[in-house]
Amino acid sequence: MLVKVCSVSNSGLKTIGIEVEVNVASRGLPALEIVGLPSKAVAESKERVKTAIINSGLNFPQRRIIINLAPADVPKEGSCYDLPIAMGILSSGIECSLPQRSLFFGELSLDGSLRHTKGALLLALFAKENDFANVFVPKASANEAAIVKGVNVYPVENLNQLIKHCSGVTSIVPAEYRESPQDEFDIEFNMAEVLGQEQAKRALEISAAGGHNFLMVGSPGAGKTMLARALPGILPPLSEKESLEVTKIFSASGRIPPEGSLVRIRPFRAPHHTVSPAGLTGGGTKPQPGEISLAHRGVLFLDEFNEFPRSVLEALRQPMEDGRLTISRSQQRVEFPARFILAASANPCPCGYLDHPKRVCHCTGREIEKYSKRVSGPLLDRIDLHIKVPVVDIEELARFEPLKKRQTTSDEIRNRVIQARQVQQERFKEEGIHTNAEMKNKQIAKYCVLSKPVKQLLVQGGKKFHLSARSYYKMVKVARTIADMDKSSEINMAHMAEALQYRLRIKS
Amino acid sequence: MNVRGNNKLKTGMRGEIIAKKFLQKKGYKIVEQNFRTKYSEMDLVAKKNNVLVFVEVRTKTNEHFGSPEQTINKNKINRLVRSAQAYAAYNKYFGNFRIDAVCIILNPDSSPKRITHYESITF
Repeated sequence: MLVKVCSVSNSGLKTIGIEVEVNVASRGLPALEIVGLPSKAVAESKERVKTAIINSGLNFPQRRIIINLAPADVPKEGSCYDLPIAMGILSSGIECSLPQRSLFFGELSLDGSLRHTKGALLLALFAKENDFANVFVPKASANEAAIVKGVNVYPVENLNQLIKHCSGVTSIVPAEYRESPQDEFDIEFNMAEVLGQEQAKRALEISAAGGHNFLMVGSPGAGKTMLARALPGILPPLSEKESLEVTKIFSASGRIPPEGSLVRIRPFRAPHHTVSPAGLTGGGTKPQPGEISLAHRGVLFLDEFNEFPRSVLEALRQPMEDGRLTISRSQQRVEFPARFILAASANPCPCGYLDHPKRVCHCTGREIEKYSKRVSGPLLDRIDLHIKVPVVDIEELARFEPLKKRQTTSDEIRNRVIQARQVQQERFKEEGIHTNAEMKNKQIAKYCVLSKPVKQLLVQGGKKFHLSARSYYKMVKVARTIADMDKSSEINMAHMAEALQYRLRIKS
Repeated sequence: MNVRGNNKLKTGMRGEIIAKKFLQKKGYKIVEQNFRTKYSEMDLVAKKNNVLVFVEVRTKTNEHFGSPEQTINKNKINRLVRSAQAYAAYNKYFGNFRIDAVCIILNPDSSPKRITHYESITF
């Protein structure tokens, strides 16, 4: 007897439908075979399915069972085929017809219960696109799938429950989406704790408001890392659309906890400088998202920028421009979005005390040259804001402490950032982008009309700093963000002047 | 054959008798019993609906150490196929044939607890 059960296969963020064909033959010795390019995890599902059915007190047919995962030429990965295979075997044996237009998805435990399986959100999205009315997923993954409206998501606890549902004895109630409490990002530092550094704080605010990349250069102990760690506290919350994008990546890589819901907090990724190129950009024979994709719509913080291997840093160039990355392997091509704010920090020289007001730098010219060459020109050209973080005077620091001079808190800055983002959202409603940093040249021409004197200033500055064409446009974008923060619809001289000041390429 | 004290052989022979009766009841005509070829021994050779059926009988007294089905491995099936071909060649038989298995579990009193007939195990 032949039974067909529908399921899906996730490759990157792409989902394709898989038909699980189960044939229980009346001839031959009892056996269970899986064909259709199963990976190790899929081939092993044989044992899980068999044991789960027997442990559920159900009858496992002593027949020759052939399972075909169609289309046969697509490699199948993951443990999500356990449930469709089990349902195919059971429905051919006992009186229970499977519901029409339904998808089955989930990993079985040996006791017959279902375990949290990655990719439930992608399954639900696929179901909606392809007119599947019902999806049956493990209970722990149901909330994640229920994000998608218009599809009945059935939370399944164990095989027995599902069999009873299919034969109409008891029915499973479709899951309702509920927001699970997410701990507000554990923000290590409040901006108010960073004393002084007003210029750097302002630059970070611009970065957060417009989604611009920045590089901080300064001596050790000046507060670069502290500033970057305080950045999550001033980032605006994810919009509905952004939230779904981030959740998709998290779902595909299995980062959503059981019972998890939409990701509401902007990701903040801080990989160590020993990260491999594949770890940063994503890769592997079964392509997995890297740090840049996990930082999508959030911040990628690279501390000690100069210490990263050149091959790793240069891999950032293309995704920084495109906002996505295609991982091409001989077997498959996978695209991951990667629109992030690059936050980088570096020392000016190997000893770190170049340009220090008091201490002497012991580096030779050649050493400094070698050090600065570790980061290439094209990469620096893609960074919008170059910030110098000066040394904090100890006397000043001591003065600050007892006085408790009021510093602007993260919340205040965050409110300003949110306002600036709202202006941008209104502007880019029909463009499909979210921030000023994402503007293409066509959009710049449309939304950033420069008056004559402002243009003159930009040209003048560009000449002086030898700006490239890319930097020229980047300056316009930064000026646009500063104008938005100022609630000005036009970019005036002051906005442009401030933008240009972040371009003073710091000799590092 | 003197089978006193040889329990395994006794079990096997008891199973073959049960299988023979079982198949006869099903309408099979037993053609040959314990036919030896150079590859293996054929427990039963039967005929039904003009199809020659080679039957491998597996008998066990309990399932504590696996089922009789599990004892029929690839090697045994290969040997059965070659024996079947040898038999067909020897008897100049050119019709259809297939290989079946009959798995039997015995009760302590040697009565059958379960008899399962698998048709065409080379399928």
